[in-house]
Amino acid sequence: MGRREIKVRLNGTDRRLEVEDQVLLIELVRSLGLVGTKLSCDTEVCGACTVLLDGRPVSSCTTLAIEADGRTVETIEGLADGTRLHPLQQAFIDRFAFQCGYCTPGMIMAAKALLDERPDPDAAAVRHWMEGNLCRCTGYQTIVEAVLDAADPARRLP
Amino acid sequence: MTERHRVAGTSAPRVDGIAKVTGAARYAIDLSVPGMAHVIVVRSTRAHARIKRIERDAAAASPGVLRVITGDDLLAAGLTPYYGHVVADHPVVAIGKVRYHGEPVVLVVAESRREAAEAADLVEIEYEELPSVTDASEALAPGAPILHEERGARVGDEGMDGGEAGLAGNVCSFAQVEWGDVDEAFKRAPVVVEGEYRFPMLYGYAMEPYNALAFFDQGDLVVYSSAQHVYMVRRDLARMFGLTLARVRVIAPYVGGGYGTKSYTKVEGMAAMAAYFTGRPVKLDCSVEEAMLTTRSDSAFIRARSAFTRDGMLLARDFEIVMNSGAYTDNSPLVNQKAANRCFGPYKIPALRVRSTSTFTNTVPASSLRGFGAPQGNIAGELQMDEAALRLGIDAVELRLRNILGPGEELLPGKRGLDADLKEDLRSLASSLGWPGAGPGSVGLGVSASDAGAYPTSTAAVRIHSDGSVTLFTGSTELGQGSRTVLSQVAAEELGLTLENVAIVGGDTGVVTYERTTGASRTTTVTGRAVQEACKDARRRVRELAAQVFGVPVASVEDTVAGVRVNGQELGYGAVIERWFGVGGEVLGHGAVRKADGFARMPPFWEIGCSGVRLTVDRETGVVEIEKLATVGDVGFAINPALVHGQDAGASMMGLGAALHEELIYEGEQLVNSNVVDYRVPRFSDLPKDVDLILAERRDGAGPYGAKGSGEGASNTIGGAVASAIGRAIGVFPHQLPATPERVWRLMRSAEAATKHRG
Amino acid sequence: MVLRRFDVHRATSVAEAVALRQRYGEDAAVYAGGTELLLAMKLGVARWPHLIDIKPIGPLRHVAATKDLLRIGATVTHWELERDPVVAKALPALARLEAGVANIRVRAAGTLAGNLAFAEPHADPPALLVALGARVVLESAAGSRALPVSELITGMYQTALGPDELIVAIEIPLPARDVRIAYVKFQVLERPSVGVAAVATVRDGRFVGAPSVVVGAVDEVPRAVPTAELAGADVRDPRTAEALAQAARAAVDPSDDLAGSADYKRHVVGVFAQRALGSLMAGAA
Repeated sequence: MGRREIKVRLNGTDRRLEVEDQVLLIELVRSLGLVGTKLSCDTEVCGACTVLLDGRPVSSCTTLAIEADGRTVETIEGLADGTRLHPLQQAFIDRFAFQCGYCTPGMIMAAKALLDERPDPDAAAVRHWMEGNLCRCTGYQTIVEAVLDAADPARRLP
Repeated sequence: MTERHRVAGTSAPRVDGIAKVTGAARYAIDLSVPGMAHVIVVRSTRAHARIKRIERDAAAASPGVLRVITGDDLLAAGLTPYYGHVVADHPVVAIGKVRYHGEPVVLVVAESRREAAEAADLVEIEYEELPSVTDASEALAPGAPILHEERGARVGDEGMDGGEAGLAGNVCSFAQVEWGDVDEAFKRAPVVVEGEYRFPMLYGYAMEPYNALAFFDQGDLVVYSSAQHVYMVRRDLARMFGLTLARVRVIAPYVGGGYGTKSYTKVEGMAAMAAYFTGRPVKLDCSVEEAMLTTRSDSAFIRARSAFTRDGMLLARDFEIVMNSGAYTDNSPLVNQKAANRCFGPYKIPALRVRSTSTFTNTVPASSLRGFGAPQGNIAGELQMDEAALRLGIDAVELRLRNILGPGEELLPGKRGLDADLKEDLRSLASSLGWPGAGPGSVGLGVSASDAGAYPTSTAAVRIHSDGSVTLFTGSTELGQGSRTVLSQVAAEELGLTLENVAIVGGDTGVVTYERTTGASRTTTVTGRAVQEACKDARRRVRELAAQVFGVPVASVEDTVAGVRVNGQELGYGAVIERWFGVGGEVLGHGAVRKADGFARMPPFWEIGCSGVRLTVDRETGVVEIEKLATVGDVGFAINPALVHGQDAGASMMGLGAALHEELIYEGEQLVNSNVVDYRVPRFSDLPKDVDLILAERRDGAGPYGAKGSGEGASNTIGGAVASAIGRAIGVFPHQLPATPERVWRLMRSAEAATKHRG
Repeated sequence: MVLRRFDVHRATSVAEAVALRQRYGEDAAVYAGGTELLLAMKLGVARWPHLIDIKPIGPLRHVAATKDLLRIGATVTHWELERDPVVAKALPALARLEAGVANIRVRAAGTLAGNLAFAEPHADPPALLVALGARVVLESAAGSRALPVSELITGMYQTALGPDELIVAIEIPLPARDVRIAYVKFQVLERPSVGVAAVATVRDGRFVGAPSVVVGAVDEVPRAVPTAELAGADVRDPRTAEALAQAARAAVDPSDDLAGSADYKRHVVGVFAQRALGSLMAGAA
């Protein structure tokens, strides 16, 4: 029992943090003021808590914080470059791919992992990859459009 | 009659866009204050029982625990522990007895969530079990266990439209709509369609679960929460603690989904009680499972009959509805009344009888959910039109067209006439779906008109700053529906500004102006008008200031796009303000609407539902696949078309959830699927292959620029549409939703068996 | 949900992991991805004061294939199996199955071995592994042994693992080039409710020998379907499909739950047995 020191590259910055073994990654992230990552179902179903661990989307609600030791963690707050939005963020705005916004950080992080691995997905690939991210507001169509837009700027509406 | 607008009518990007895509948007669940404690709720493990004893010493002595609070503590402190906006029968935590499995009983407040959870495990509650009832029909039967031996106090705020006489036993409320001689009509009718229909209990699953942060600030109560109706919650809390309205402040930052599930007081009372007894700020965060034990929607069992001439003209309709409303009154009387008002559809009906009973049962309390009684009624009312069409040998769209009311015609006696051309809407819908159906799959569609808009009490305020920019105050909350964007667009339009020059502050009873509710699809129509009035008032003030500055009669001052013309000179708002004050300053405009003038006749508008599907059924498994979804958003004028599309897409997807997958299931006393693993909401894979979101804009609404509301219409008719399409595909109409694969499979088997039997 | 306190012990060798298992007994669980383990703890259905993290053990991370065998280390994730070029070449049917397990986040962290060790009945991989005759390689203080997957999973959330045993690898005998493999599944809620794996050699439209068909996700354990009577059968004959469906339905004993009644599930098993056959003929290995 006791606290363990972990070294995490969090949104591009190296951090030294102390955590107990049973602390969940979402607890750690939110305790650092990064509350963009949201807690919802708490059972790995909804994806609102999605963060990228070494570039892979994980359920931060069911991942131990110590798993971030020696690895990179990306949350929604790390995506924009100052005031310059990431193409996904701009596409979500342009396509109205959110309403209440609660699922949005998780959606965008999951989509980022997709585009990082596969820059040119088709709609079916987007729907398959994102299947584990729930949205209760939009009906999903505009989210698919936004991800495809971010992948292919030529697609964007004028 | 086409007005030209600069900002209204454009799909302006949402004003909360950057906040939400960068994670900067703050929801109540994200907030914390220094010294904040945490409360964990200990919930009942019985459906109906007297509380004999609560053993709390071990919990109270547990590390980090500040206080362990029970219902008796609330009474002993002389507080008013019952709340409710129709009947104040809902205890903040159970007092004397528990009425549903999962009901809050004890609050454990500790320095950290973990410590509170560990202490909560140590609380022991001894119950004396009482017989319980979860089925509404059983609850109405003689000898059923009674949940409320004494009725709570009627609160004057909301109508119990059906009256209180005869509220006996487990009847929570009763609603009736009647005209003409129904019995006579059925006796003489050549064709009568009869049936029984069932609509499930649903969980709205707003992804942000209920939560609240409460503290007392020198005797004033401050609560941040996920509430849709901050002013209604303020009123409940003021009563609870014996405070004046001025001494209670309720704030909803961004709300992570509402859909009606966050209407009225939910967990704010518990958080405030915890703050009261500890003197500390206290945070209460529900898990999704706890949220599912807080509020659900009414299920309904409907017996319906519809009488027709051989030409398909309706002669009479007769509905008997029983709603399962759970353990407390909450909003059920209103939902019940609306179910009664909405079940029979927007048709010419010479004789009508609707009787709807909202029933107490030992289950999670039911309250508002998108559609508000309309989806429940629709599965009976619209499906019977399809069943009648089959019987009569008349095309189901043609049958509806023969009976649909025209613009201006009356749906309910004494109410606003229909402010929509529903026949045109239905024709557009049918055309989009390729009715009666070429190509794969079968089509189902439906229409509805809901008396939406709730009560038209709304105010707004506009502050024009000395640089001509503007801050808009509204009591509306931003749930995702885009209220902040649409209201900003109205203000920008009215004041001749760009959207960038309009800031908006919302949902804070201590700062903004009164808004009755955010829900019932009312914000664009009702609050939008209040915003217009506030802008008019602000312009009037600017003209007055200009008149004073220049020493001219105010009648000689004219409005320009974004300022005034006085003595031949044009000045922006800011210039006038600075001249009047000498330096700095601002102008305040205030607007109010009420049940008068444009809103004298209720409802403020009729919310149109006109949606349908083309689907295929896997004959081996009963799995339904939606090939095409089409909706008609008859909104009068779309102040922001993209946001209207968003409502139609979201509402219809939610409707598909209820039509095909979603159902809260009680086995015995307990909800067995109170989690998102076992309660299946729609996903990406449920996206229909083709989605057509049609707008109908005939400027026929009482809202700004002829607008009407959106947000519920599209979901109201999806259930009936899916059921009728399935019926056309498999030869027997499902009378129960959700039409899960197994239910459809069983229907196919029964249809097969019936054919074999006949053969 | 918060987790009650526990300690994570990072094992750097199999021996160390075994020793930790011996030391802590039932108070310890073996932990890699934790996608099922941690959820069980959050839900309060299980509690372990000690977790033995085997991810640091190098040799457990490897995927390797010989001509006859695919060996998957215990800490290899579903995500990696979906993408691994060795798997793509040696056993693409496995890669396809892995691509559909749970959701993207579970695939990113969860391991195939962990899936077997947790023995969640509503899971995809066990049916295919049993149909392929796969085995797990176990290590304990007493040494090493191999156990067929069909013998590893003994019940719902129950395995034949000894008190100090852990899975170090999964070994799958690679089928010959002309063997066809199919996996089809049916799902109504969050987890699959029926899965059918079929492995068969087909020549001139007939089964060579009997096909290996296993039904998973619907019963407490994966159920092998008796198919001896189908040896040499004409694959395209509707009577073959019907016989297979019947045998599959008879091989399972589903119970009523939120995903459906026993009747319905049994019916769906028959339907998907036939669909697995169809998929076998449509696709390659």
